[in-house]
Amino acid sequence: MESRVVNKGQISELLDKLAKDYNLIAPIKEETMTLFRRVSGAQDVLLDYNNSDISPKGCFLPQNEKTFSYMYTGDTLEINKPVGTQKTVLFGARPCDIKAILTFDPVFDGVKFGDEYYSSKRESTVIIGLSCAKVLSTCFCYAMGGGPCDTTGSDLLLTEIGDKYYVEVITEKGQALVDAYSQIIAKQDTAQLAKDKDELAKKLSGEFVRKVDLTGVKELMDNNFELPYWAGDDQKKCIGCGTCTYVCPTCHCFDIFDYTTGDFTGDRLRCWDSCMFPEYTLEAGGHNPRPSRKERIRNRFMHKIKYHLDRYNMVGCVGCGRCVNKCPVNIDITKIINDLKEVAQNA
Amino acid sequence: MMNLAQQLREQAKKLLEEKKVDLVIGFGQGTELARNTPVFIDSPEGVSALTWGPFCANNLAKYLVDYKNDPGSTAVVVKGCDARSVNRLLDDNQILREKVVVIGLPCPGQLEWQKVSAEIKPGSTLKEVVDNGDSYTVKTDSGDYTFNKKDYLLHRCLVCENPNPVISDITIGKEIPVKNYEERFAEVQDLEKLAADEKNEYWNKQFARCLRCYACRNVCSVCTCKVCAFDQMQPMWVSKRTNLSENTAFHITRAFHVAGRCVDCGECDRVCPMDIPLRKLNVKIHKDLGELFNSPTPGTEPGLISPLGGFSPGDPEEFM
Repeated sequence: MESRVVNKGQISELLDKLAKDYNLIAPIKEETMTLFRRVSGAQDVLLDYNNSDISPKGCFLPQNEKTFSYMYTGDTLEINKPVGTQKTVLFGARPCDIKAILTFDPVFDGVKFGDEYYSSKRESTVIIGLSCAKVLSTCFCYAMGGGPCDTTGSDLLLTEIGDKYYVEVITEKGQALVDAYSQIIAKQDTAQLAKDKDELAKKLSGEFVRKVDLTGVKELMDNNFELPYWAGDDQKKCIGCGTCTYVCPTCHCFDIFDYTTGDFTGDRLRCWDSCMFPEYTLEAGGHNPRPSRKERIRNRFMHKIKYHLDRYNMVGCVGCGRCVNKCPVNIDITKIINDLKEVAQNA
Repeated sequence: MMNLAQQLREQAKKLLEEKKVDLVIGFGQGTELARNTPVFIDSPEGVSALTWGPFCANNLAKYLVDYKNDPGSTAVVVKGCDARSVNRLLDDNQILREKVVVIGLPCPGQLEWQKVSAEIKPGSTLKEVVDNGDSYTVKTDSGDYTFNKKDYLLHRCLVCENPNPVISDITIGKEIPVKNYEERFAEVQDLEKLAADEKNEYWNKQFARCLRCYACRNVCSVCTCKVCAFDQMQPMWVSKRTNLSENTAFHITRAFHVAGRCVDCGECDRVCPMDIPLRKLNVKIHKDLGELFNSPTPGTEPGLISPLGGFSPGDPEEFM
């Protein structure tokens, strides 16, 4: 598809317009944190961030979501579903986080099961990606099939080049948006910018310091559910918090429960859950199939490097590096992958 | 500091060889240059993984609880602040004194790894760390980097009370004089000056961000309940839903639950993925306990009776 240009001087104007016409979600600074929040205009938007503390997955799978409310009056039961989805623009998401949304699609919007809460948000959202300008020491998207300037999953991808943003139109949805804002997202000769973007992508791809290689790891996992490796230091040092799963852009587990005010009136909620919590697999009779941190850690990493591949032919990790950065005890998925690869080679 | 690591390895090796302990819990090199990670050594050959320096922020004392029912003894590497946790765990009968060997290292302050990491060329390899008193020089294959302690230490280290372990069976390294870069209660005093609605606004903003990952609870060395009220489904005291009301209920309950037992190791603050300044809640309680009951920081001495956990028949309060 085509490509266009936005002058840096006009990006505020574009954001203001988008905020007027859409529910605009963009990265902002909240104290020390970089988070995706709804914004009312350009003034709060942060465009020179590296990696947000929490990914924008909440746009499609909010941490708390009301699926319906209910009221029982004695003889009637009234059920009300939230109506309508707002037209939304997710602006400034990084390529790894956008790729992560693609890993949600077959789960919530698949052939076998459709989830209207997810798919309605997905349909009504335009994703405007923003190429990375820097590679962090925890980044490893390249090893998971992505890249700092990867267009996969974006409707539009912006890349900052000099005093301009080079705009690549990736989908019909993106095309419709640029056509509607063609005053700002201008048609221009972009041959040089395209070349500059390729140069930038090449330069950044040389800056990764984490060496990660998935070759052979899934095959090892396929044939070895029980490995002495899982009884090692990682499960000993894990404190069993949910940090890795909540900051992970591809983790999508949830719990469903009713929040009742006591008089037969309440909400049915769907909230993020974490497989690192012991209660996650605790059964009503008291049995827990994942009784210790060993099983729970194994499950989390198997999900990333095997189960998601088995089910959807996609790696369940995009290499954003958040779990590496945020884990209180430095459990590191890149180390686990490399260790397992070594186990596979020595087997 | 490398020399101390060598001494630590020798001591650990001796303990394991002489079968005085089955396990040594210490620090090993992490996956980032400026980051160490807990290691669990069960053989004399494994001690080479042990290290020591200003990247050993974790409080390892809580891991002792995981091994309390093992037949053998466990050795743990502690800094001054972590040693308070050991005392507190002993006082709470969470661990048995005869099954624990405390390896204490006087600590000249722990660096905030993310801050340090941001300045060092990615991919560098650590060669040595030199303590210059008020700064550290981190020597790497990409050059030397100097970090002023005042700017790069974890906040809890700027107001450190016990650089020297308050309980230790084997002490490695020389005693370090107490050096505070800030008044201990300065941050809390600033908050105290605010009007009630301003305080409310401040904490609402912090708690609203909470993801309820429970890292603060799980890392806490005095959070040792077998079943936590926040994990109970029936009754569901606090639901999985995150919102200001439920998050506030969690944090306030937690702060009061550890009041009088919190040793101010600052781990809750360090591990929070949302940078909620949790330590301020605890430090406010420490300040109050000090002012009201003349109570030192819990864990400072063994056998300290918690001001909120003990009683005196001569208490001037009438209800006694």
